[in-house]
Amino acid sequence: MNAAEELKALLPGSVISTGLQLNKPMAVIKKEDLLKAAGKAKDIGFDHLSVITGIDYKDHFEVIYNFFSYSKKQNLALKVNLDHDKPEVETLTSLWNGADWLERETFDLVGIKFIGHPNLIRILLPDGWNGHPLRKDYDMNTEQFVTIGENGDDVVSPDGTNLLRRK
Amino acid sequence: MESDELFINMGPVHPSTHGVARFKLRMDGENIKECTPVIGYLHRGTEKIGEMKTYLQFIPYTDRLDYISAFPNNYAFVKAVEELAGIEVPLRAEYIRVLTMELNRIINHIVSIGSLLMDLGAATMIMWGFRERENALQLFEMLCGARMTFNYIKPGGVREDIPDGFMPKLNEFLKDMEKRIDDYEQLINGNEIFHMRMKNIGVINAKDAVNYGWTGPTLRGSGVDYDLRKYEPYSIYPDLDFKVCVRNEGDSYARFIVRMDEMKESLHILRQVVDNMPASKEISSAEYGIAPMTGTPTGVSTYFPRIFTPPAGEVYSRIEAPKGELGFYVVSDGTTKPYRVKIRSPSFCNLTAIPSLVKGLKIGDLIAAFGTIDVVLGDVDR
Amino acid sequence: MEKGGFRVDPVTIDTTKIKITKKQPVTALDKLNDTGLISTVLAAREREGMILFSTIDQVFNWARLSSLWPVTSGLACCAIEMMAVAMAHHDIARFGMEIFRASPRQADLMFVAGTVTKRMAPRVKQLYEMMPDPKWVIAVGGCASTGGPYHESYSVLKGVDLIIPVDVYIPGCPPRPEAWIYGVIQLREKIKNQGYGAKWGLNK
Repeated sequence: MNAAEELKALLPGSVISTGLQLNKPMAVIKKEDLLKAAGKAKDIGFDHLSVITGIDYKDHFEVIYNFFSYSKKQNLALKVNLDHDKPEVETLTSLWNGADWLERETFDLVGIKFIGHPNLIRILLPDGWNGHPLRKDYDMNTEQFVTIGENGDDVVSPDGTNLLRRK
Repeated sequence: MESDELFINMGPVHPSTHGVARFKLRMDGENIKECTPVIGYLHRGTEKIGEMKTYLQFIPYTDRLDYISAFPNNYAFVKAVEELAGIEVPLRAEYIRVLTMELNRIINHIVSIGSLLMDLGAATMIMWGFRERENALQLFEMLCGARMTFNYIKPGGVREDIPDGFMPKLNEFLKDMEKRIDDYEQLINGNEIFHMRMKNIGVINAKDAVNYGWTGPTLRGSGVDYDLRKYEPYSIYPDLDFKVCVRNEGDSYARFIVRMDEMKESLHILRQVVDNMPASKEISSAEYGIAPMTGTPTGVSTYFPRIFTPPAGEVYSRIEAPKGELGFYVVSDGTTKPYRVKIRSPSFCNLTAIPSLVKGLKIGDLIAAFGTIDVVLGDVDR
Repeated sequence: MEKGGFRVDPVTIDTTKIKITKKQPVTALDKLNDTGLISTVLAAREREGMILFSTIDQVFNWARLSSLWPVTSGLACCAIEMMAVAMAHHDIARFGMEIFRASPRQADLMFVAGTVTKRMAPRVKQLYEMMPDPKWVIAVGGCASTGGPYHESYSVLKGVDLIIPVDVYIPGCPPRPEAWIYGVIQLREKIKNQGYGAKWGLNK
């Protein structure tokens, strides 16, 4: 029996459905039980978190976690569905250290908040950027002006007021 | 003697940071108390561009991710698309693909070792290394016309066939490369200063490495015996015979030696590919035609259909790139453009462990440890 | 068209059919140039400036163009071609660029090689302002000239000439080392024609 069905047998309340991600077993998890399901997956032997993907479908968000097990050489994918108005889910940094930057990147580009993350700030775009670019309703024509503030950090403004040297 | 804390910024413009990476260091004298990497100075929005271009138009953008070795990037995206659409690839095309990818692995490790040694102060290795790199780049130019950004591997096969003068020149390159790798080992491996700067610097054990999501030669330097080409093989790797290079110490010197060994294994793989290359002339899937085109070395070129629509679905496929595990998550909704392309790059995931790796060391050790992790900023920032 | 790619036919040019037309001389100077005699007052006054300033200008310009020291500001893929140009096969040290200085205070040429993003732009401008006069800038590659393949992206500056003045643009993605050296030679030609004479319009 493949890994998704194994997970369903262990946690029947959390798993909504099992299926296939083309050829890898995938399980859809309830939003509130993600940490429990991921912990159980780590116990079964899935110790490598490969990637965290955030996708913006126009009426809901999806976050997909891909795991891999070095000992059993098997793949597993977990999917979580989130509301469009309030995309929040628990963080996995307590189990995997590598999830830290992957979640920061998903927050930066797609706009999904991870509850409990120690340092959820933007990582690829400067602090203060307006909007989340990978959402489908991001306006590509918004102007963003970037200058250097104190300490070498960036200051962003949408109208260029930070470009004046004297205020 | 207690002194005040010093706050040093190893800025985006720095000769040793391999591009535009920035470190914010809090120091106590010469020892590092805390190190925060700041990235994003090369963020070009490749994933958003992926939603605006068709599948075939996106392939040149994958070249520019890890620009030192561009063939594996092409192949990772094309493998995802082929799995989604269910395309069969002929055998000769697979052999040509593996030939180019392994050649790229060799020159990637040359640049990595060369720039590490240049940061440590020894400029000879990079001069020697770039001499070999020129020979390899001339081979690539014969094959597909470009030196660094190839756009050669497409869904269903490759773009053009191998021209006539290629095989003799490749054999000459292989013979030459063996002698040169022995030269490099003699120059570096026994050097006492090198040992002092690299041994016991940046130590990480196997469990922590897996927890941080490390993959590739950095993981194999910590003792975990895993290589995607051997244990989850793709393309023609099941028929090839090669070893997986593993070291157990987990420090910078071990990661360096893993890369030297991998170069020799790549030469071994290349010799097998050259010996067993099938003689048929099919370089792409039978449903695409071959069109005569003047100006190419062989007079023919593959015709890839401009309207290419894989069925709706999602796929995550990963390969063993020279820097680690490169994965593409492609979501398709049945139209000509992908709905979402997510790139899992090895340099981004390897870089998360730097703060814990260099606590308590000096700045020179930060440079040595950072050099062995082999980061390319095009891959980190995408 | 049948199922196939596009057909590229070899082009033949019949050079016997090309006629070279000459412009008819209009001004006095043109007529003078036709005859080959340069002895009128007008022409002599033009050459006056050249005689006064020519040798000093030539010496300064020769000194400046033979020893341009670049600053290492390689940002992306074009930086790897910069390393290839600086290494033994295509050697840029024979044109005087012996050392790539790490500090901009000691350099007088800046190769902007790679994509300039909006986050990196203030730093590139600061680097330019830190270089002392006389200084020149070469924009290498498609991304630094106009934004390149990333023109539609949300975070890429569409050409570095929006923030600093550029002297030579080298197209390519990435440009071959031979094209790089051609761009450097163009910059040397530009420097050769500089000086007081040229500024006052006298050094024709």
